[in-house]
Amino acid sequence: MTEKSFSPTDDENDTLLFEKLQEHVLAHYPNPERKGCPDPAVLKSLIDDPGNITLDALNDLHIFKCAECTRLLMELRQKKKQSGTSE
Amino acid sequence: MRSPSPSDLCWNVRFPPEQEWIEEPLRIAVGHLWERANHVARSQLGDEALAPEIIEAAIEKTVLHLQTGPPCGPDEVELLLERSFRQEMRRLRKANNRLIFVGSNQELTSGTAQNPHARIDSAIDLEGILRDVPSNVRFALLLRYSRSRWSEVAVVLGTTEAAIRLRCKRALDRIRKKLESENHET
Repeated sequence: MTEKSFSPTDDENDTLLFEKLQEHVLAHYPNPERKGCPDPAVLKSLIDDPGNITLDALNDLHIFKCAECTRLLMELRQKKKQSGTSE
Repeated sequence: MRSPSPSDLCWNVRFPPEQEWIEEPLRIAVGHLWERANHVARSQLGDEALAPEIIEAAIEKTVLHLQTGPPCGPDEVELLLERSFRQEMRRLRKANNRLIFVGSNQELTSGTAQNPHARIDSAIDLEGILRDVPSNVRFALLLRYSRSRWSEVAVVLGTTEAAIRLRCKRALDRIRKKLESENHET
């Protein structure tokens, strides 16, 4: 059975919402000094091995208020996607 | 979307065969608590829509307790769920009463006062929106933020896509509402 979106304008993965959220974080939360950012290795694990990551290690919801972490996550996700296609 | 039933709220809980006994008394206990939970959420937190989240958190705590102890009867399951529900309500009331001030008046520049529509002013306070959301929902939202599909999040959390989406629905609705209102303002 196909899952339906909770929002009439979005798809079953709430893609539109998360895209807007990502844009919002990138636009409103610059953090060039990387204050409160988790180690890049933690973000890499969030992409590659999320089962071994805790909310504490991510500094709770920090990513939702950090353009730098969001950008890095996007890059890591892209790299993973590319390595998946090339394999 | 219709309101979740007590059975819906148990979706996220999975039992190994030796612990399947928990399921039936738990569903009955949730059924008994459901009306009152809605009433308490409305009267004490001002939002009946919070009841499912609170009950879900209480269910998780109760299940964790039952899974680590010996089998017990329906009355005890009901008492445990009731206790977990009260704990969750206390946690939420505390969270709602807590005011957080960040920075000092030294950091306020005249520009802030002169430009009330500065970019930072329109930033959504996601921490504020998600402050009273259970930690596993916060984690699920971060996971979804870092990947493209709910099905992938469900695999990581060892649950079903439907369950994880239902759990995150209210938080997503709040974020969606805020983003939409921000779009209207700008």
